[in-house]
Amino acid sequence: MGPNGSGKSTTSKVIAGHPAYDVTEGEILLHLEADDFDDVEEIPEDARTWNLLELEPNERAALGVFLAFQYPAEIEGITMTNFLRTALNAKIEERDELLFGEGEENEEEEEAGYESSPMEGPADEGEVGVAEFQSLLEEKMDLLDMDAKFAQRYLNAGFSGGEKKQNEVLQAAILEPTIAVLDEIDSGLDIDRLQDVADGINALRDEQGTGVLQITHYQRILDYVEPDTVHIMLDGEIVKEGGPELAAELEDKGYDWVREQVYNAA
Amino acid sequence: MSEATHFSAGIDVETVERIAEERDEPKWLRATRLDALEALSDLDYPDVIQTPGRTWTNLADLDFEDLVAPFDQTEEKDWVVAEEATVVPFHEALNDDDLEALVKEHFGSVVDPQENRLTALSTALFTTGTVVYVPSQVDAEDVKIRTTMNGRSLFNYTLVVTEQNASVTILERQDTGHEARSASNRASGETASSEDAPESEERYYSGIVEVAAGENSYVQYGSLQDFDQTTYNYTLKRGVTDTYATVNWIEGNLGSRLTKTEVSTLLEGDSSESKIVGAFFGHDDQHFDLDSKVWHRAEHTTADLVTRGVIDDVSRSVYEGVQDVGADAWDTNSYQRENTLMLSDESEADASPKLIINNHDTEASHSATVGQIDQEDLFYMEGRAVPPETAENMLVEGFFVPVLEEVEVAELREDLEERIHERLRD
Repeated sequence: MGPNGSGKSTTSKVIAGHPAYDVTEGEILLHLEADDFDDVEEIPEDARTWNLLELEPNERAALGVFLAFQYPAEIEGITMTNFLRTALNAKIEERDELLFGEGEENEEEEEAGYESSPMEGPADEGEVGVAEFQSLLEEKMDLLDMDAKFAQRYLNAGFSGGEKKQNEVLQAAILEPTIAVLDEIDSGLDIDRLQDVADGINALRDEQGTGVLQITHYQRILDYVEPDTVHIMLDGEIVKEGGPELAAELEDKGYDWVREQVYNAA
Repeated sequence: MSEATHFSAGIDVETVERIAEERDEPKWLRATRLDALEALSDLDYPDVIQTPGRTWTNLADLDFEDLVAPFDQTEEKDWVVAEEATVVPFHEALNDDDLEALVKEHFGSVVDPQENRLTALSTALFTTGTVVYVPSQVDAEDVKIRTTMNGRSLFNYTLVVTEQNASVTILERQDTGHEARSASNRASGETASSEDAPESEERYYSGIVEVAAGENSYVQYGSLQDFDQTTYNYTLKRGVTDTYATVNWIEGNLGSRLTKTEVSTLLEGDSSESKIVGAFFGHDDQHFDLDSKVWHRAEHTTADLVTRGVIDDVSRSVYEGVQDVGADAWDTNSYQRENTLMLSDESEADASPKLIINNHDTEASHSATVGQIDQEDLFYMEGRAVPPETAENMLVEGFFVPVLEEVEVAELREDLEERIHERLRD
């Protein structure tokens, strides 16, 4: 938590690898265990710890870093289904290459024929086939109380603010990240949708074991998604930490209270 | 004009007489050809876009002497003919009295043979063509014309005439035959001086399409140009509408070294309509100069111009769109949108949408954009594990979707999708 301009969104974009930021110092370390993934037996010892700053954005995503955007891009002409299946297959392929040095074997599949339209991608390309993906997508959409027709809509194009946020959580549910950074996922949500989104986050954390770093201004979502730890960020630094009660206290007293404490102590 | 002598080499009365003679053409056509030939050197090249300090397409710089080979016009043509409609080779139509009268009535009525130097050249020298005639009440679903260019030059002419309440969908494809490719290789092998080789591999295609849409008739004319990249291509397609008639164009440009086209509709009948949908994808050093034009000259007419194009490598594109609303064109609706996406820093694009309104009772819009892939879109997709090249390809394919959705001919839409897909992965 932190006031506007304290560096929360910047932190999240740096973690995800936004090209606008150049990190001059430090490391961002990601430690992986086999049980971070449903389908991995064992990770080679030398592939367990990664400095994210040495990886491309798509490689970070492949290892399980997920950033839910405050303002998700609206992309015309790419259906949700096409995008998410491409993303899931790319994630599995790239992850296996990073962890196990595999990946070359799939090259021939690139030439595979089209099912219907090339815009939808070759039908049998990738680990997860069309039919299998379709049922996965339906299951996750149902979980988030999303209408099935979203599957054929273009990625965020014409979505309401709330629908976009729901869609971010849906994508996390499909990609099963190791760590999800949710940048103001609660802004612009009405109470019903806040509940849906919170259910989705809780399912990520409790069922898929995803670590969640949630960025927010407000106590409101914390009534639905209880944090283990609350960190308060001020002027680019974490200045205070505590349990869920810290968020409640902050709601009462405001950021000036934190600021006074920090600067008086200094 | 100095170009006059330039053009006279091999393109003279004798040449034209021989072309007409060999095809046993009627006197009127021979006369039209000779008139066009005579006017040739006094006519200007088609208008091209000029921006300060720059003429985008220098047609006068083309080496017509080398490109135009009147007696090296060979091609293969395939027609798929719809029942009840007449689809015949041009010169076969001239052998039929009724069809000859039809051709005589319409030939040069939509596109004046002497409109510019290149239409005149085409009229003087064309050796092949197609006549599509759809009688009253007939619904001709699926006419296909495929022209495969094998010689060094090809001058092609197409006439479409629909009678009252008729309907026709025409799909035209143009490409280069394997024979032509190997022939030019042979030619270059035999040339004494090897410096001549590159010139001798270049080709020139010129096509004129005239559509006369009768009352309450519907014409959909789709075209997919996929010549090899040694071909210089000049095409002018124009339709004229009677009352309640519709002429819709779909214009796909993928091939050629240089393409200069105009696709246009003269809305002459009350309540008539036209839609011009364009898609192009240039790469290497291809050059596209594409015009979409509509003239509103009657009441209650509607036009919709939608073009999207992508350019990569060092290719260039220029788009000009004109909506011209005449003084008597009451209750006009006219819309135009054009978007060009540049995939490389070395590609260049210019777009100029023009709206000329001489009647205040008009609802109109026009816009054009030239841009690059949105880096935030790319980052969003990469953040979901999609590799950068895949993300870019998907964004380009997605960019074409709004125009592809306008393409009502499924076969053409699928072909375009497939060619775009292939080109992205070249």
